[in-house]
Amino acid sequence: MDIKEFVENFAEQFEETDQSFFTADTRFHELGEWSSLIALSIIAMADEEYNVTLKGDDMRAAVTIEDLFNTVKSKA
Amino acid sequence: MAFLSIPNVAIRGIAACVPPKIQENRDIPFYTREEAEKVIATTGVERRHVVSDGITASDLCLKACEKLIDELGWEAESIDLICNVTQTSDYINHPNVFVLHEKLGLKQNCMALDLFHGCPGWVMGMSTVASLMSHGTLRRGIMLDGDCITRTCYAYDRESVPLFGDCGTATAFEYTEEAASMLFHTGTISADGMALAREIGGHRNPFTVETFIKDQDKLSGKAEPTADDHLMDGMSVFSFGITVPPKSIKQLCEHYGKNMEEVDKVILHQGNLFMVNKIAKKLKVAKDKVPSCLGEYGNTTSTSIPLTIVSQCRKEYEEEALKTIACGYGTGLSWGTVYLETSHIKCPEVIIY
Repeated sequence: MDIKEFVENFAEQFEETDQSFFTADTRFHELGEWSSLIALSIIAMADEEYNVTLKGDDMRAAVTIEDLFNTVKSKA
Repeated sequence: MAFLSIPNVAIRGIAACVPPKIQENRDIPFYTREEAEKVIATTGVERRHVVSDGITASDLCLKACEKLIDELGWEAESIDLICNVTQTSDYINHPNVFVLHEKLGLKQNCMALDLFHGCPGWVMGMSTVASLMSHGTLRRGIMLDGDCITRTCYAYDRESVPLFGDCGTATAFEYTEEAASMLFHTGTISADGMALAREIGGHRNPFTVETFIKDQDKLSGKAEPTADDHLMDGMSVFSFGITVPPKSIKQLCEHYGKNMEEVDKVILHQGNLFMVNKIAKKLKVAKDKVPSCLGEYGNTTSTSIPLTIVSQCRKEYEEEALKTIACGYGTGLSWGTVYLETSHIKCPEVIIY
């Protein structure tokens, strides 16, 4: 699994936040556009792209995009 | 493996009743216009029918059932089995099935049972009713399935308020050796079940005066929900919803040698539109085979499958012979998938209470 590709897949779920803004260190819960609906898109992305089932606790525990990447990686 | 093949029982009709009061998602006070549009686009829910004070799930089920048995021309005397499915009973210690048995004027010699279940309830109830009737001594059965789930939603719960609606349904079954077998696959992942559990107010955590007042204030909107309420864990339920139902449907088809191509309708529990579309995509099934009633009614828990049939394709069910796969999923967390064949069933228009 590639972190760069994961960040891109993550960023694609957002409409208003500029794609170039996202890095592995982005603290995604703090983004203005972050919402429970975007969280569902991220869960669907992990399922489609990585065949990984993320639960609510996985989403809440991750602070940065890299944290979530590590969770997905450990479940893949 | 929880597979079941049940012969000799046919569905004769399905009816649904919703309360008259309509809540528009564009009018929800705690959303901006823009937020409301986003929620509508994702969930697919524009408006919902919700009960007013004095109307319960059993009232909605009763109306649906009266209409259905009238259309079928069934005498109360001919009904040998009544099953009710709900998680919102009229009384704490008196199952709704007895309320309904009395109001419908059913005979003493009629088996009555109640299932406490959530969103998979229509399919799970059907597996129970069909199993009991396949012996051949109970000739006619009715299953009443309904919830007034909005009575349990906190007024400022941003996840549940725009999603849920109320409905009561009735489904009629008859013993006949000509029926194609109903095929079921069911399963349970109880370790994740607390994602959909309301923990306060039952016998494990009885209300205290303080928690009761807080609960009432949150229901009426005097207070907002707090972190310790453990409301629905929408994210975990969503993950479950997009992964398990498509697997269950595929397993059922493989186990019984059914081909998705020959199925006329795939009726999914209407969790939300995002979830329904994801499941349909995974099954590679054409969108016109997967109807949805989310726009007008929202997620009506265990009634969402029969309400979709009645509100979206009643003409087809009345005028044609159809092969249907239905999948209910949620509460438990658990799921039930059924393959069933129907022919020219009674399917009256959605009744407004």
